[in-house]
Amino acid sequence: MRIIELNLENYRNNLNLSINFQPEGALLFGPNGIGKTNLLEAISYIAFGKSILGLRDNELINFSETFFRITASVEIKSQIFHIEAAADKTKKVIKIEKNLISKTSILYNYLKVIYFSPLDIEIIQGSPGKRRQFLDSSISQLKLEYLEILQRFYRILKQRNSLLKDKTNLSSKESWDKKYIEISSIIIKYRIIFLKEFAQFVKEKYHLISQRKENIEIKYRYSFPLLSDLDYFENLTNTIDKNAKYEIKSERSMYGPHLDDLEIKINDHDIRKFGSQGQKRSLSIALKLAQSQMMRENNECHPILIFDDVFADLDEDRTTQIINLLENKHQIFIATPNISQYNQINLPRIDVERFINSE
Amino acid sequence: MFSGILAELEKNLKSLPGIGPKTAQRLAIFLISMEKDKSLQIADSITEAVNSYHNCSECNILTAENPCKFCTAPERDNKALCIVETTQDVYLIENTHEFQGKYFVLTKLLSPLDGIGPNDIHFSKLIQKVKNENIQEIVLALNPSAEGETTIVFLATNLKDLVPSITRLSTGIPFGGDIEYSSTPTLINALKRRYTVKE
Ligand SMILES: [Zn+2]
Repeated sequence: MRIIELNLENYRNNLNLSINFQPEGALLFGPNGIGKTNLLEAISYIAFGKSILGLRDNELINFSETFFRITASVEIKSQIFHIEAAADKTKKVIKIEKNLISKTSILYNYLKVIYFSPLDIEIIQGSPGKRRQFLDSSISQLKLEYLEILQRFYRILKQRNSLLKDKTNLSSKESWDKKYIEISSIIIKYRIIFLKEFAQFVKEKYHLISQRKENIEIKYRYSFPLLSDLDYFENLTNTIDKNAKYEIKSERSMYGPHLDDLEIKINDHDIRKFGSQGQKRSLSIALKLAQSQMMRENNECHPILIFDDVFADLDEDRTTQIINLLENKHQIFIATPNISQYNQINLPRIDVERFINSE
Repeated sequence: MFSGILAELEKNLKSLPGIGPKTAQRLAIFLISMEKDKSLQIADSITEAVNSYHNCSECNILTAENPCKFCTAPERDNKALCIVETTQDVYLIENTHEFQGKYFVLTKLLSPLDGIGPNDIHFSKLIQKVKNENIQEIVLALNPSAEGETTIVFLATNLKDLVPSITRLSTGIPFGGDIEYSSTPTLINALKRRYTVKE
């Protein structure tokens, strides 16, 4: 899986450019603020159909223009596809082989990208919502149907919360509870199955990066205590029944997948509280590498790996070692202001400053 | 930009399904520029239809007669009841020729976000009908949205002691949020493969 050619029109400050990539990828260098991240963001837009940095489409349009367009040729399992994504101030249009696609998630069947960002550390030290989001998006990339299940869950949650708040239609509560418990159980099933394999990969990747034998443990933390002789469905049913008054008083759903968390421990200690900045950095890279491994195992594909200046804290040898393990399998893009850290890496070099100015 | 009476007309046209701002403007201009007789005829027929159509007192379907032609049809099986959300759904099911019983239109689906509870879906009227007419079979033909699915659970739970057979349409896929039974072949399939609601 690789990107062969990328064309940008009116995209951010890059305005217009056309760029051909080698099968092995590229090392993009240049001072900060020159547009390296914008380029990487554009590549990942072709995979996700939206900004990986959380920007709205109209924020991606160059300030003096009314639309942007990204076109790319990509190779997926020896087949070439042309993907086009464009947006003006009101709507987005995505085409695969010139055919309009009806929803963005269809894109997920094509290019797979894993984006490593310095902000990934938030998965570890941020709020539980960040971890749930990471978990859910990782599963969605493997199991497309999971996205629909999630959307259904959040719809039912919203309805149920409204019911608990409004209180006028509590005679239908039993039915909403039933659907809520049913969909929650399905979400949990997907998350637990994913985590079982994933946690093992994280452990391996972390050891590779840190080269220390610290023990990493990832556990799923439920929002309420579970009895081990009952399954999740029965546990949630009992908890909701027992706490009906409390939920009505609280005016929202107090138990369920939207409140769960991941517990990450390093040598038996909560990494959020006790981990060093270096440990957190290494682990955030390990999480993404494990995500990539999951894709390899489940989809038999090697996603494109994008490293947006994430190795700054690691020394040259460690960085080289990680990249060497991934080379020849994945197309790799690395952005850095400090090219000397990558002396031993063979990727083709692109001087982003010079490239943008020459266009 | 229109103003005054014309803006009012544009606004009213825009409230129709499938009519965006541009079409609304075009239609408004079209209506005032066409032959007066013809456009007033449109206005009259809207007035007439709106005034003469109302919900059937038996089944809530929109009808000019009361009770409606479905409720009074002697050849229809009056022990089988198909529960739908809208009058339009009744006609979609009629097109399939798969159902020969009577109908009940809920007019809405349970949706706390919109303040819609059992009273708003004519639940007590439905219970009365089921009891009075000794209904033996219910087909729940509701869209498989979160709201539709929950309404199915609600009705099945509350009717199970009164009705021996309660079935629902098959969706073919586990979470058919986007599926609407709007095409006849899909609907025929869903009706043919309907199954008992597990309670
Ligand atoms: Zn009727």
